Amino acid sequence: MNVLHVLFKVDGTEYAMPAADVVQMESFTGATPVPGAPSHVAGLVQVRGRVIPVVDARVRFGLPAGKPSLDSRVVVGQLGERTVGLLVDSAREVLKLDPRTIQPPPPMVVEGAKGFVKAVAQVGPRLVMLIDFPRVVGEEAADVDGQR
Amino acid sequence: MSGSGEFAEFLPAYLAEADELLASAQKDLLAVEEAVRKGQAQPRAVRELFRALHTLKGLSAMVDVEPVVSLSHWMEASLRLADQAGGRLPESSVEPLVEGLRAIELRVRQLGAGKAASPAPANLLERLEALGPQVRDAAPRRARAVKLDAEAAFASRLAPSEREQLEGGLAGGQRALRLDFVPSAERAAKGLNINTVRERVAKLADIVKVLPLSGAAAGGASLAFALLIITRAEDAALLDAVGGPPAVVRSLEAPAPEEGPSSDAAPDAGGLPGGAILEEELDEPEVRRGGGLLRVEVSRLDEAMEWLAALVVNRSRLTRAVAALTQAGAPTRELNAILQENGRQLRDLRSAILRLRMVRVGDVLERLPLLVRGLRRATGKAVRLELDVGDAELDKAVADRLLPALVHLVRNAVDHALESPEERQAAGKPPEGLVRLTCHTRASAQLELTLRDDGRGVDANTVAKAANAPVPDSADALLDLLCRPGLSTRQEVTRTSGRGMGMDIVRRIVVEQLGGELRMDTRKGVGTTFTVFVPLTVTLMDAIVFECAGRRYAVAVGTVEELIDVVGVVRPAGADGVGLVERRGAAVPLVSLARLLDASVDPGAVGQGAKALIVRQRGEPVAFAVDRLVGQQEIVLRPLEDPLVRVPGVAGATDLGDGQPTLVLDLGALGAARAGRRKRAPRSGEWVT
Repeated sequence: MNVLHVLFKVDGTEYAMPAADVVQMESFTGATPVPGAPSHVAGLVQVRGRVIPVVDARVRFGLPAGKPSLDSRVVVGQLGERTVGLLVDSAREVLKLDPRTIQPPPPMVVEGAKGFVKAVAQVGPRLVMLIDFPRVVGEEAADVDGQR
Repeated sequence: MSGSGEFAEFLPAYLAEADELLASAQKDLLAVEEAVRKGQAQPRAVRELFRALHTLKGLSAMVDVEPVVSLSHWMEASLRLADQAGGRLPESSVEPLVEGLRAIELRVRQLGAGKAASPAPANLLERLEALGPQVRDAAPRRARAVKLDAEAAFASRLAPSEREQLEGGLAGGQRALRLDFVPSAERAAKGLNINTVRERVAKLADIVKVLPLSGAAAGGASLAFALLIITRAEDAALLDAVGGPPAVVRSLEAPAPEEGPSSDAAPDAGGLPGGAILEEELDEPEVRRGGGLLRVEVSRLDEAMEWLAALVVNRSRLTRAVAALTQAGAPTRELNAILQENGRQLRDLRSAILRLRMVRVGDVLERLPLLVRGLRRATGKAVRLELDVGDAELDKAVADRLLPALVHLVRNAVDHALESPEERQAAGKPPEGLVRLTCHTRASAQLELTLRDDGRGVDANTVAKAANAPVPDSADALLDLLCRPGLSTRQEVTRTSGRGMGMDIVRRIVVEQLGGELRMDTRKGVGTTFTVFVPLTVTLMDAIVFECAGRRYAVAVGTVEELIDVVGVVRPAGADGVGLVERRGAAVPLVSLARLLDASVDPGAVGQGAKALIVRQRGEPVAFAVDRLVGQQEIVLRPLEDPLVRVPGVAGATDLGDGQPTLVLDLGALGAARAGRRKRAPRSGEWVT
């Protein structure tokens, strides 16, 4: 059974996550920075009346933050009760991925990607990285002893 | 069990509280279960679950419900370990926790029905006790693959957790059975009804579910109950418990586990011959006497608030649009009049909805006498609790968050601050200690709560020693030390006051969650006074909007003491960019908010801000320099719930009508957080000074 995935690009590489986990996609016009939040948090955006944090995928993947462009998108994902946005360079495609083409990532990728990539899918000639959305978003509170 | 007699007056409060705790515990346990099944950690739910059980244990100890105390005690102990392990639980632990919660619920129901709580099943206690080591080893053993007889077990009527419980019982080597009980007038006369049967069976087995069946049942009766149970007991003993034939025992284990893909959506009518029909859940709805009161789910009120919030945002857009029209020379006199009327109506609507959410402080605190009574028994100290709270009211959301903090303060006062009667008499005090809680509403939409004890006072030297820090030179500094995480943590779980939450949690609740303030005044040998200031409501507020470094921010009007023009700044050498301004003959420190928010700002630019807001930071006035004041307006505060953005100093976000979130700052906390951060090495990307 093929599973619908949302495809997006970060620094030229294609990534994907299950469409079922994606609430919507928004263009990006800037976020309100939150002082003291982890560095990979770009800030807050408002999506349909809700205020949600946006994680900058570039920063999370260890790249310098990019300049927002017309192509920039916020992929709004649902994580249990949390709603968190992921800022990516572009997101245009929705694709059905055949599970048979999905393979665990090579060990080197696992190491380099800090566990953010959980599988690799082959789409024709292209390789698409399936991200571990919860891990990319993270739960680290900004405060060191950030209990509630 | 001494049971209800001695504590009858406290029972209603206990039951209401226990109900709520059980409801939230169930929710959290479900979340934990789901996470466990996916192999994920669920730290928040584990912690909430731990807290709920901890509170439940304490409450139950006070009214002497030993079975619930024992059950929650072992559950709490294992959850504490799980919490320490980052919220990870082995799969095998969910089952006993579910059963434990169910067993607690059953006993609370029994109390509610005026009966004594039946003893905790020994085998369940043993399993719960065994959880601790399991959690610690976190070596989840795979359950033996078992399958339920879908028809016999009414698979379609079972919640996933119930099904798991049954399957888990099977996998754990027990028997999962369906025991049918057929009531009759004759049997009822002998005291055999479904309630007594439940109790009798509960002694032999863990009851997973009780389903009433109607229609022709075994033995020709028209009503029967099916008890789905897990047990190690013999059939004969079980049959005896339900009064013998026409009762039936059936195994719930499917005879051939390797059956084909049988449809799970088996029709309800399964099980009994003659097309028995399942009725609604057995338990009669609990009728509460309300006296003209209506119990409304808070979520419905929240929904109304959401709509109101949308209206407020819309109105501020409308106001701006009309202002623009006026500026452009359009005839807007009538529009303005309507707008004003609209503003009044909105305010009225707002206060009406807010009043709906208000609860009397006295009602919120009704549990404290119970707490003190329990503490009196547990500590052997003579204590008198005086409550003087008048008619003050508080938003339900604030009250719910505040209560645990107050409970902790009261517990501390009795446990630690008050001396033993002999000690007190030796010091020339009356043998009975006094804990007094007063509260009143302040003009700035804040509630001020004062908790005073006449105990021994906080000894700064002892605290400094425990914290391994220099002796603090002021009450604020002493409070800071007391609020260090882990300072008052006791590792072992005691039955009386538990290990308790530390003062750090109290401060976190008051300051970070509620945007309030916590102060302490203590005198050796005389007593200690804690003062808590919290906003009456947290959703809508009047705010001052200002600009700083090109961005707009809002801050609650109530927190700002004064707005000043920044003139004549004195910059002492070595003060790390902090300046001083004169205000009514006193020097007030001036910090650059721009720099506080973004460390990359040049310290030389401090004081370039034209205006400053004076806010109290730990009781001392501090001026925060900003670029421009925009105005004062009512805003909707949206708390930031996500852990990624829950940071000290940011109370939440609001929409000023431009579709971009605007941060609502808590300047006092922001300044204090910065002062705290200075002591550690900075992490990358973090703002430091």
